[in-house]
Amino acid sequence: MSASDQAQQGRRLDRVRPREQAAIGRQAATGRGWGWVLPTLSGIGGLLLWELAVHGLELPSYLLPAPSEVALVMVEKWRLLLDQLVYTAFAAAVGFVIALAISLGLGAMIAASPAVERVLYVWLVVFHAIPKVVVAPLLLVWIGFGLKSSIIFVVVFTFFPMLVNTVAGLRSADPDLLLLARSMGGSSWHILRKIRIPSAMPSIISGIKISITLAPLGAVIGEFVASNKGLGHMLIQSVGSLEVPVAFAAVTVVSVLGILVWYLAEFVERITIPWHASQRGRSGSES
Amino acid sequence: MSEIVVQSVERTYRSGGRAVHALGPVSMEFEAGRTTTIVGPSGCGKSTLLRILGGLDRPSAGQVLVRGQPVGERMDGIGVVFQRDLLLDWRNILDNVLLAAEMKGLPRRAVEPRARALLDELGVGDFADRSPWELSGGMRQRVAIARALLCEPWLLLLDEPFSALDAMTRDQMGVLLQQVQQTAKTTAVLITHSIPEAVFLSDRVLVMSGRPGVILDDIAVDLPRPRTLALREEPEFAAIVRRIRVQFERSGVLA
Repeated sequence: MSASDQAQQGRRLDRVRPREQAAIGRQAATGRGWGWVLPTLSGIGGLLLWELAVHGLELPSYLLPAPSEVALVMVEKWRLLLDQLVYTAFAAAVGFVIALAISLGLGAMIAASPAVERVLYVWLVVFHAIPKVVVAPLLLVWIGFGLKSSIIFVVVFTFFPMLVNTVAGLRSADPDLLLLARSMGGSSWHILRKIRIPSAMPSIISGIKISITLAPLGAVIGEFVASNKGLGHMLIQSVGSLEVPVAFAAVTVVSVLGILVWYLAEFVERITIPWHASQRGRSGSES
Repeated sequence: MSEIVVQSVERTYRSGGRAVHALGPVSMEFEAGRTTTIVGPSGCGKSTLLRILGGLDRPSAGQVLVRGQPVGERMDGIGVVFQRDLLLDWRNILDNVLLAAEMKGLPRRAVEPRARALLDELGVGDFADRSPWELSGGMRQRVAIARALLCEPWLLLLDEPFSALDAMTRDQMGVLLQQVQQTAKTTAVLITHSIPEAVFLSDRVLVMSGRPGVILDDIAVDLPRPRTLALREEPEFAAIVRRIRVQFERSGVLA
């Protein structure tokens, strides 16, 4: 066997470490650096088709505005849109943080005590079964217009996935690992900090990833009903007055917010659980 | 005097309303500084016995005395190596070894030199800063052994530590463990399915029957140390292996 044959053998996928395998897999998926071309072309092509269709079929802008018209509105009203965005993002952020605190606390209690679980379980199931959208008008009655209603609706809308994942995560610690920790003479506190919580992290993070993308949505729905500010309110109002291009502008901004929040979640995942199998081979800073 | 005395220990589990008699009654003694191996078929309660020795499980009847004191809920100074290496993915190799000290609330500064020395002794010192998933099965198990030895345990419990490894790595690990034991001189109790491994590693072999496990034979292994793999071809070695195998054949474990 020649030296180059051996080198070839050494590159076989089953002979490399998992991290390299992951990297190789990723390389194949992105197609050697040209991976961005097709999605970009597809995006531009779609917008172009939409633009042509609107002009070709002479659709009135209160039915379907052309992308160019929406873009124009966004430039004209950027200040207003930015204000609404900040308002909505603030409600989403505050609501999300409160929901996170509640679900971590409650999740820890449920995971620690079967009695607490039995008491709360029924209520959680009932609560989860209630369509959250129904709660929004009630908040209007109970709390009235404004930021407080939006925030509370975001909490209601987002805490459940995080709670369920926190409980599942805290319970998922490997029993053998707990036995090992006990054999080392570890106290409950040490076992919680060094075994249970790290073991729970992947699950908690995936709960956070679900909830964090729900947060802007929750804020917008809350504003539909119980707010006189924010992107949700702007959306409802502009549709009501048939200013459909404005509505599209608002939707665009909400979507951009959603995308940003998703990348934020991915970033958090990468820095909190770099050791997890799903994250290996992602960061070039290691090794 | 014996360091550990096991007095008619029994263990019964409740499983779906039915009682499963897993172990005993067994009685035995373990002397300080010696390696004793328990061989027996699957499900004979060997692991249960090991857990009871380490205070990780409680006997349903009987008791275990360590230096004259009954074993309580939690014991100090024990190192355990399980079949699975149980390394934590979120810690690098060095930090995995140091876990044993952190669990006891010891400052890591004080034990870090010893952790590094142990990793060197076990041949994985170069991987101290690596992550567990970058190491092979045999290397991971070496780290697990270093972790068990970190706090200088007086009792080392080994629950089928090599049974997940391939035959060649397994032999290597046997020689390595034997060397480590030569210097550490810890009292050790090893559990295995492999008769040659049992004979190779120990000063004494206890042969257990199938469920509920009882002791069939108690064999002293007076072969010279340090031992090399070549020892396995010696007639004395073969004689002990045969004696154990015959025990299993008689009790119907091996046909």
